[in-house]
Amino acid sequence: MSQKDRETANVGAGLWKGAGMWAWLFHRVSGVALALYLFAHIWVISRGAATGAEGFNTMFETLESPLFIVLDLFLLAAVVYHALNGIRVLLFDLGVAIRQQKTLFWAVIAISVVVMAVFAYISLSFIASHGA
Amino acid sequence: MRQGVIEENAGGMWLWLLQRLTAVVLIVGLAVHIVATHVLNLGELSYDNVAGRLAMPLFVVVDFALLGAGIFHALNGLRMVLLDYGFSGRSKTMLSWGLFVFGVAAFGYGAWALWPWLTA
Repeated sequence: MSQKDRETANVGAGLWKGAGMWAWLFHRVSGVALALYLFAHIWVISRGAATGAEGFNTMFETLESPLFIVLDLFLLAAVVYHALNGIRVLLFDLGVAIRQQKTLFWAVIAISVVVMAVFAYISLSFIASHGA
Repeated sequence: MRQGVIEENAGGMWLWLLQRLTAVVLIVGLAVHIVATHVLNLGELSYDNVAGRLAMPLFVVVDFALLGAGIFHALNGLRMVLLDYGFSGRSKTMLSWGLFVFGVAAFGYGAWALWPWLTA
């Protein structure tokens, strides 16, 4: 490819071919989801103060049902990715490993998969041993 | 660069630094919170189970650190996202103050939510 073609190839669409762009997009989407979840979480915990122990316990029977434990895994995936990619961004802010940003993105994905496999095992064996 | 951009964004450096500091608090605090609450006590969560943890000073510190750092990090993060969609000048000031007031209120509400366990 000539120098000129290289400069103009995939203008616009080319942005979406980079690992860094996906890292940024996943960070933003997971961040917005986690921000909204936080306020829902504060409201759920406030049911203890608002309705007392009995209402709180009834609610947690639902929140520890198999469906909600599986939903928790999606929440945890957002937490784990956002935390690990956050560390990646912190390193860049400190001037560390900027040129290894692509490798670090794949490291973030790989560690996320391992952590999620461990939590999926814990969650699914809990569901299996306690029944639906 | 448009004239006045630097002045308009003065103070952004401190928010940037606080976003990093709260990130570190959240990584450590959430690791403790998730393992203690959702792994070690999986299937046991109840009003009394929460009371048992909040009888320990460690978890009072962790919960309040998570409440404060979480609310700041979430709202400052949402602010950064929203600033990409055309807030400037007066609308930017109103957005920032609106989120600040909401954050203080959310922290007060969260503290109220924990109160019965702290005073039990």
